[in-house]
Amino acid sequence: MQGVRVGKRIIGADAPVNVGWDNVPRVEGGPVKQFIFTYFQPAALFALLAFWYYAPNDIAKASTGIWIGIGFRVLLLALEWVNPRFESWQLTWKELATDLFYVGLGYTILRLVDNYIGDDVMIEAIQSHFHWDKLTWFVTLPLILQGFLIAFIFDFGQYWMHRGMHNWYPLWLTHSVHHYITQLNINKGAVGNPVELFLIGLGVGGFFDFMPRAFLIAGAFRLGIGTYQHINVRFNTPVWWRFLFNTTEHHSIHHSQDYEATRSNYAGDFIIIDRIFGTCVDGEAELLGMEGGRRMSIGEQMTYPFTEGWKTLKGKFSRPMAASAELGPAE
Amino acid sequence: MNLRFIDWIWNVQGSLPLSAQTSSEEAFDRLAPLFRQVGTNYERFQNQLRFAKKDPAAQDKMAVFEQGLLQVEQGEAGPVLTYHMRSRALLLCFLAPLLFLAFGQLTIFAGQMEKAPVTAKAPEKPKAALPMHPIDQWLGAPAPEKPDAKKKESAAEKKAKKFSPTAAYVFAGIFAALYLIGRFLEPWLVRRLFLRQLALEV
Repeated sequence: MQGVRVGKRIIGADAPVNVGWDNVPRVEGGPVKQFIFTYFQPAALFALLAFWYYAPNDIAKASTGIWIGIGFRVLLLALEWVNPRFESWQLTWKELATDLFYVGLGYTILRLVDNYIGDDVMIEAIQSHFHWDKLTWFVTLPLILQGFLIAFIFDFGQYWMHRGMHNWYPLWLTHSVHHYITQLNINKGAVGNPVELFLIGLGVGGFFDFMPRAFLIAGAFRLGIGTYQHINVRFNTPVWWRFLFNTTEHHSIHHSQDYEATRSNYAGDFIIIDRIFGTCVDGEAELLGMEGGRRMSIGEQMTYPFTEGWKTLKGKFSRPMAASAELGPAE
Repeated sequence: MNLRFIDWIWNVQGSLPLSAQTSSEEAFDRLAPLFRQVGTNYERFQNQLRFAKKDPAAQDKMAVFEQGLLQVEQGEAGPVLTYHMRSRALLLCFLAPLLFLAFGQLTIFAGQMEKAPVTAKAPEKPKAALPMHPIDQWLGAPAPEKPDAKKKESAAEKKAKKFSPTAAYVFAGIFAALYLIGRFLEPWLVRRLFLRQLALEV
């Protein structure tokens, strides 16, 4: 495979990657279907923003946000059946059960761990140590701007955490498990080693928890944009959207079997961050995963970072001894 | 240990009548493409076909089953294909509710271990009402609640939220439902798959 030059890199030399937007397929079907799958994403985002902007105070609370999040994901799950992007990514019972297991971990045991060592605990410690007055200047900004900034700052942090995971071996060990997924479905974002799921969830949101409405608007940005990273639905995503925001196309390249392609599109919501730092690759990939698309079992996903880390350490420290043993005594 | 009373949890068995002229060799020739998959090993011996799978692909139509035995036997009305397959996925899904119930109990236990919140606090200085940007006033966004008017969440309420086992119970229920769906869906799907495959010309 020759691959395509993108900046200084050759993308698609190891595995097929469709670079650029020209050859990305469009939604097939009648005018109603075309209309729905062209305008769904912006319409849903603006509807979510409008809801949180105008919702009365007694409705604008986190519990409402959780239910909206669940409802939105169920709707997208239905869309996966109506208009799949690839037949080869279709959800099976086993895939659904596996994905929901990780979603369950996130809502239960990981949340329990977060109570002790999560970002909120750290932020509270920082705030009480430095006597910070919780960034009160922030509330003088327009609400939508507050929400956007919270989401953007969080994503900016995630970009560097994610990029770090692809460039520093100890972090890569935890993140590599997530790259063994071989298809994108609505709950695939939850699949990964629990250590990574904890790390990627670290953010600065706790600094802004005194502004509930702005915080919920930030959640709307995340739900209305970031959710499409892992989903098997074909959309005719508008040009302005894919310039600013992350899309399934971008994230499929990040998950492709091509090594260079995986080292791109790190942002969760705002792909513009990748454009700024030169790591964005536009296009799409169907063949995903590692080791030629080997599907990893849950048991291996739980232990892989530790077993691989141990193997690496053993290899590193046993080699010089083995080499010296081979040399033998001088005669 | 005799597992025959509980092994229905992870075992799927069934049989399919074959047409009178179908030999075991012909039947397995037709089924063979199902076993030519990544991570699948299979061997045929006389009227039997054994298979085992390791890390099967997500789109492998038999990915739910790790191992199995297919046999062509002579029934009263003609040849019959019988199959007996094991599914670790079904077993784990059956056990998953117990895991989530354990998480729920662990959450309750962690909540009980938390020290009782200190109630005597220094009086907080009165907070000023949150300002609202003129653009938001003009667009008609609801005014933020005055800090005094807002019901202050007590430390006990916060603790109850942080250590609530509800999510664990919900996921225990989800996995119980998923198991029931899988236990009926997967045997039906594999039976349909075999029927379709056997109907194909080799």
